[in-house]
Amino acid sequence: MSTDRDSAADPRAPSLEHAIGFVLRAGVLASSACLAAGLVLSLVVGEQGAALFLLHAGVILLLITPVARVIVSIAQFASVRDWTFTGLTVIVLIELMASAVAALLFNKRL
Amino acid sequence: MPVVTAVLALEIFLTGAASGSLGALLGLGGGVFLVPLLNLVFGFPFTVAAAISLTTVIATSSSVSAGRTGQQLINLKLGMLLEVATAAGSFLGGITAQFVAQSLLQKLFGVVAAGVAVVMMTRLQRRNVILDPNVDPGVLGGRFYEAESRAVVTYQVKRLPLAVVASFLAGNVSSLLGIGGGIIKVPILNAWCGIPLRAAAATSAFMIGVTATAGAVIYYGRGQLEPALAAAAVLGVQVGSWGGMRFGASASAKWLKVLMAAVLFIVAAMMFMRGGR
Repeated sequence: MSTDRDSAADPRAPSLEHAIGFVLRAGVLASSACLAAGLVLSLVVGEQGAALFLLHAGVILLLITPVARVIVSIAQFASVRDWTFTGLTVIVLIELMASAVAALLFNKRL
Repeated sequence: MPVVTAVLALEIFLTGAASGSLGALLGLGGGVFLVPLLNLVFGFPFTVAAAISLTTVIATSSSVSAGRTGQQLINLKLGMLLEVATAAGSFLGGITAQFVAQSLLQKLFGVVAAGVAVVMMTRLQRRNVILDPNVDPGVLGGRFYEAESRAVVTYQVKRLPLAVVASFLAGNVSSLLGIGGGIIKVPILNAWCGIPLRAAAATSAFMIGVTATAGAVIYYGRGQLEPALAAAAVLGVQVGSWGGMRFGASASAKWLKVLMAAVLFIVAAMMFMRGGR
């Protein structure tokens, strides 16, 4: 039995996995750093000013990371002309945008 | 909104760490434990607990999936196809959560969780994998190297419509109750769709970042997300899931299934108790 796991695998998959791994890792590190700094600062000076800014920046970076991952996936699928999966991933992005629009509407108490 | 003191932040951090390690071990995401703890033990309103939990779900999904890339355990194509359904379910669930009394849905969730637990227990010995690496996995199937059996595991995806429906439901429950939704997807993908537990759990963990984001954004916009508490929980869950993942890699699939079934029964009982009020 062959244990060569790459011989018959999809040649596109490694580069997509690589790009996705990079985006996810960068997003988590950036948001965790902001959240940690914001939390420590807010315990010292209270939830205001720079502390509050860092906390919200951390939350927004956290929320943006999966969106960025979806955008990277769209670019990767499009670059190999896999239109079925480009289309499916675009639908996912539209759904995420719909949530953001709903959030903005709720925020304005409409 | 509760006032965030250093003691409360530390308590939330430790609660997150405990939930995260259990979640990573089971491929559930941790929210299953975090939401009841925040709601019942800390006494936060359900929506506040759900909002915090959803942010930890996103963080867990991102960090766990980042660590797994390159192993081919995550089925990217299947995951992205099913995300179309989970994100739609999550979007609708996030809006519904702002208007609907949740008792009926919690009871329904209890029924679903208990039912899935029964299925898991009755299918313990089943190995839905094809060990011949020459078999064509098709567009949506996959293959990965399993260290346990020292072989390439190949699988095809069966009953795709069922996987799509399960994903929509999982997305809906995710944003309504603040969990990842792996609790619904993983057992169904494993029991009926031909996907090995490890691959099902990895693919689900990958998907729930997008799923939880679609819901969390709505809670955040509504002002139900307390950022300092989310920070404490997210950091705690990160530490916990890192520990749980290291242990999970050496745990056997059968043992994982038994543990997951037990967890599902407990969650079902908790949902019934909450829904009954």
